[in-house]
Amino acid sequence: MTKLVMNAPVDDAGHEEAGHPERPDRLTAAVSGVNDLHLDDDLSFVAPYMAKRAELARVHEGSYLDELGTFCYEGGGNIDPDTYATYDSWSIAQYAAGAGIAVIDQLRQSDDAIGFIAARPPGHHALRDRAMGFCLLNNVAVAAAALTAQGERVAIVDWDVHHGNGTQAIFWNDPRVLYVSTHQWPLYPGSGGAREVGGVDALGQTVNIPLPPGATGDVLRRGFDDIAAPIMDEFDPTWVLVSAGFDGHRADPIADLALSSGDFALLATSVASFAPTSRLALFLEGGYDLDALRHSVAATLSILLGRDYQPEASTSGGDGADLIKRTQSERDSALQLAYDVKAAESDS
Amino acid sequence: MTNLRQVIAVGFDGSAPSELAASWAFDYAVRNDADVVLVHAVGILEHMAHEAVAEQFSGAVHDLATGVGFDESRLRWNVDNGDACSVLLRAIDVPIAATLLVVGSRGQGAHAGHLLGSTSLQLAERSTVPLVIVPAAS
Repeated sequence: MTKLVMNAPVDDAGHEEAGHPERPDRLTAAVSGVNDLHLDDDLSFVAPYMAKRAELARVHEGSYLDELGTFCYEGGGNIDPDTYATYDSWSIAQYAAGAGIAVIDQLRQSDDAIGFIAARPPGHHALRDRAMGFCLLNNVAVAAAALTAQGERVAIVDWDVHHGNGTQAIFWNDPRVLYVSTHQWPLYPGSGGAREVGGVDALGQTVNIPLPPGATGDVLRRGFDDIAAPIMDEFDPTWVLVSAGFDGHRADPIADLALSSGDFALLATSVASFAPTSRLALFLEGGYDLDALRHSVAATLSILLGRDYQPEASTSGGDGADLIKRTQSERDSALQLAYDVKAAESDS
Repeated sequence: MTNLRQVIAVGFDGSAPSELAASWAFDYAVRNDADVVLVHAVGILEHMAHEAVAEQFSGAVHDLATGVGFDESRLRWNVDNGDACSVLLRAIDVPIAATLLVVGSRGQGAHAGHLLGSTSLQLAERSTVPLVIVPAAS
């Protein structure tokens, strides 16, 4: 039976702003989803680990880390209309960024396990030099960079409802990382079009699958299976990391996809098929309806662990099925243009 | 024939600094035969219909424009998803093709007296067209 490795919780109560949807209750809901599975001895925790400066500096500029640390030390405040930090946020964010490294270390020693990093604040919007979209440090990017530094080939699949602009930007030109994102579009942060295909040294290794409001699970799965799966197969990752946001759930208050917890579970099985044994880790990103978050975490982990807890059926019949072909076509033409430009530049 | 008319993109979130920026831009546009595009960034938390933004701010914008004699038929809105910096940088590209960016010294939600989250400083590093930062009124 596949086991689950998680990061032991740290006290995250200090990273909170009154009325803000990115709040400590989210983590409680996610952990409740894990507890719903009654894993007993099949669940283990790794000790809290605070990411070291050198580990953060692989994906963030030193000046930004200094600035963020100082900002928090001085009491914090609003960084932009979406994003806040408090006095405690700096240490909490460093624990969130280190959790993936610790879980991955444990997975290396496991025969058959998957990892789940239940930490906050989320990370996938954080850029090298900028906090945004609730995110301070890019947790999944810190883990991916730690892996590539050890020679690994990492696929990051981001199914949060928002495009992971930070992760995409960090690995835009890195041939060691494949970045795949499904997300609602148009929606914050406004990036993530099909024509964004990667930098000159990593052409084709950014894969964006924008979905219209109202899209259901069948559209999501078709997008992944038709567009991303062949690329995942060719890339042949040695690790698969998932930016597992659950704000695409139909009950979520800040977006408009029509997914159920069963849809995340089905997508997770497709994604997991590309991961070698004990080389899959899911990082909590968004998800702001507490019940939906709990059910989605439980359903997703349940199917990956071979359990049968599925509180909601998958969905179908929503908008967007016709857009998948167009997305493929736009991606193909953008990629061809990029290759042509690259060839012309190398000839000149 | 190339259209050489200037297009001024102004970051506008309804805050007092953004009103100062818009007022400066309208005045500059009158003197330089330029169009003005008010750019509004919709963040994760701003759960409103895009069309409602122009309506919400229309009264204030009308007063600012007419106050310096700006022809409102040359005013457009661009309401776009994202953080203020990214949305303003996108305004440099077609179809807006802004030739000048204008922002206030501090937007909504930013932390006074700190560099972190400063849209104007981020733009100063990244903009490929001239940038005007309108200082707060003393």
